[in-house]
Amino acid sequence: MARKDLLDIASLHREEIEFLLDQSTSFKKLFTRSVKKIPALEGKSVLMLFYEASTRTHSSFEVAAKRLSAEVTNFDVAHSSITKGESVRETIETLQAMRTDYIVVRHGHPGLPAMIARQTTASVINAGDGAHEHPTQALLDAFTIKEKFPDPRGKKVLIIGDILHSRVARSTSTLLQKLGVEVAYLGPGSLVPKYGPATIPRFTDYEAAMAWAPDVVYLLRVQLERQDVQFFPSVREYHRVYGITTTRLAEIRDRGLYIMHPGPVNRGVELCDAVMDYERSLITNQVENGISVRMAVLDWLTPGGDFPKQEAYIAQQKAGSPVITP
Amino acid sequence: MLLLQNARIASENSPALVESDVLIVEGIIQEIGQSLAIPEGARVIDARGRVLMPGMFDAHVHFRAPGFENKETITTGSEAAINGGVTGVVMMPNTRPALDSATAIATVLENAKHRSRIPVYTSGCVTKNREGKELAEIEGMRGLGVKMLTDDGDTTADPAVLLRAMQYATEFGMFFASHCEVPELAGPRALNEGVMSYRLGIKGSPACAEEIIIDRDIRLAHAAGAHVHIQHVSSKMGMETIRWWKSRGDVKVTAEVMPHHLMFTDEHIGDYDTNYKMNPPLRTQADCDALLAGLIEGVFDIIATDHAPHTPFEKAQDFISAPNGITGLDTALVSLYNHFVEPGKFGWDLVVKRYSAEPRRLMGLPVAAIEVGQEANCVLFDTTAETTFTKEFMKSKSQNTPFIDQTLKGRVDLVVLGAEILLER
Ligand SMILES: [Zn+2]
Repeated sequence: MARKDLLDIASLHREEIEFLLDQSTSFKKLFTRSVKKIPALEGKSVLMLFYEASTRTHSSFEVAAKRLSAEVTNFDVAHSSITKGESVRETIETLQAMRTDYIVVRHGHPGLPAMIARQTTASVINAGDGAHEHPTQALLDAFTIKEKFPDPRGKKVLIIGDILHSRVARSTSTLLQKLGVEVAYLGPGSLVPKYGPATIPRFTDYEAAMAWAPDVVYLLRVQLERQDVQFFPSVREYHRVYGITTTRLAEIRDRGLYIMHPGPVNRGVELCDAVMDYERSLITNQVENGISVRMAVLDWLTPGGDFPKQEAYIAQQKAGSPVITP
Repeated sequence: MLLLQNARIASENSPALVESDVLIVEGIIQEIGQSLAIPEGARVIDARGRVLMPGMFDAHVHFRAPGFENKETITTGSEAAINGGVTGVVMMPNTRPALDSATAIATVLENAKHRSRIPVYTSGCVTKNREGKELAEIEGMRGLGVKMLTDDGDTTADPAVLLRAMQYATEFGMFFASHCEVPELAGPRALNEGVMSYRLGIKGSPACAEEIIIDRDIRLAHAAGAHVHIQHVSSKMGMETIRWWKSRGDVKVTAEVMPHHLMFTDEHIGDYDTNYKMNPPLRTQADCDALLAGLIEGVFDIIATDHAPHTPFEKAQDFISAPNGITGLDTALVSLYNHFVEPGKFGWDLVVKRYSAEPRRLMGLPVAAIEVGQEANCVLFDTTAETTFTKEFMKSKSQNTPFIDQTLKGRVDLVVLGAEILLER
């Protein structure tokens, strides 16, 4: 069953995830051909609505859409001051009048892509809404892990860093759990909330977290710009306590653990320079896989379907119910 | 002349309803008894099976005038009150301009006289423009009958300012109502910090942000010998703090709880439903349960709605951009009946005591009761009927309520104030 929108991982069924990951594999095969473009979305329009700057996600979606032969337009919001909900609603009216087929949206306010989805016939893809969700990042992470572990059930992923502000942590851990992967969090007590999902062990001590025996270490970007108060004393202390230092890299190499990071990396903070040359670092694989996963998502969604009324939509979303019920 | 036959009369003193006829002559309850003779020219209403109670009194409402008449006016607000079975209200002073002077208060009271069919009282600000810095002209407001001082919506941040205000105004027989929140802890978003805020990815407001000020303000009142009234308590430990202070018996403290904090939790926010966005925020089931216990026990002296209208346009934004607050007057009595009286959690006596008698006592007003010699001030309520809260049903200018389009048990059939029938269904 295809959907109109991709707003979160929480409401996705396991079968839908498996389907999307399978499709991504097929799309990735195209990359080795000399002509990488297919006409799947010929005549369709994709509108990029990025209220927060993001070169990586933005260009990944753009490449994915173009490889499917869609027409890509950028709605220029980056330099304007319109970030409040009120003006967003005026923008939505404009977008609805334009009858675009897809809207890829990133915004600092959680739930805002869902609001756009309720008010347009376009298929809306959440490219990150505040600290809420980033579903395509989760899909590309799962895809990258499945390339190394075709049956990932029972594997262990340790997510390190600012869990509190991270939409990546939320989406990726939700998705991995749906695939039977075990997830744990590690970070400073001020950034790993006690009220996170009960099914996810929570560590504040690096050694204790390594004793949990992870297969993959997933480092989150330290987002100093999201912190309205100080959550840890200094970047130097963070690196020493929670970062992958040269000494720790040696242990990781011995154990043969994979390292992931959603990018962009703060070198010397989450990880030392040497990690970039580590043979089991999957950081560039993640970037590459982002394109095929986003192609699969665009291809899967069905724009122009119905124009759901708010209540009906919410009921439908609730029926497809959240996953991590702690 | 109005004769209500076989009504079941509710009072604050007894859980049992007493079936009786009630005769109202020239706005005064003249006779209560079995099978009263029908006087010539009297209008007779068969009230059999229906509950007759005093009109409710809401000591915490926002009528938005002056300054935000697009959300509510004194007329639409007071009509919403009548619609919900409420026959008297106290406005909060967070209007524009703020009600921080005798002039501003006089204007509101003058308007209310002409634009409302029920008495509208108002509280006054503690500080000028609710900024928490300079004291408002408190004595001037007292001269116009203001009893309650509050910067509702904003905690008076500097404890020294509040302490001085308490020392000053207590001499005038006035009391303080506290909106309790440490802004540095609460942050800008009205959502309880916990499992739900984490799942939605919104910075939450921890219950301790509220509890700290509850304790602080009672301590200040203790030091100043003042009376402090704690507004809209939402947390279990907040309730326990008040209970502890009350048990000491050496400080005058009263407190209020809102229907929505008794009925809903942060789980109701679901997919960012802004009709559940309010301040203090909805918390957990454990908090709801504790608040209900506190109400039954008497830790909370009064029920009030914090009626807070906002236009559909404002509330239709995303959760972060939308303003805090929900309306409460149109739905007041029916929602209490549906959620608590009908399921047997508490009786009509509690509703009458906590939502009619005690709020009037708090404001130093005579209590309305269905008794001979009293001015008629009563509501007839049908427990077998239902009410559907459509947009058309609401008399408030705004419809930002979780009850919109819901059908609840119970219906306000008749509202009488003095010689006038304010509402009849
Ligand atoms: Zn209020």
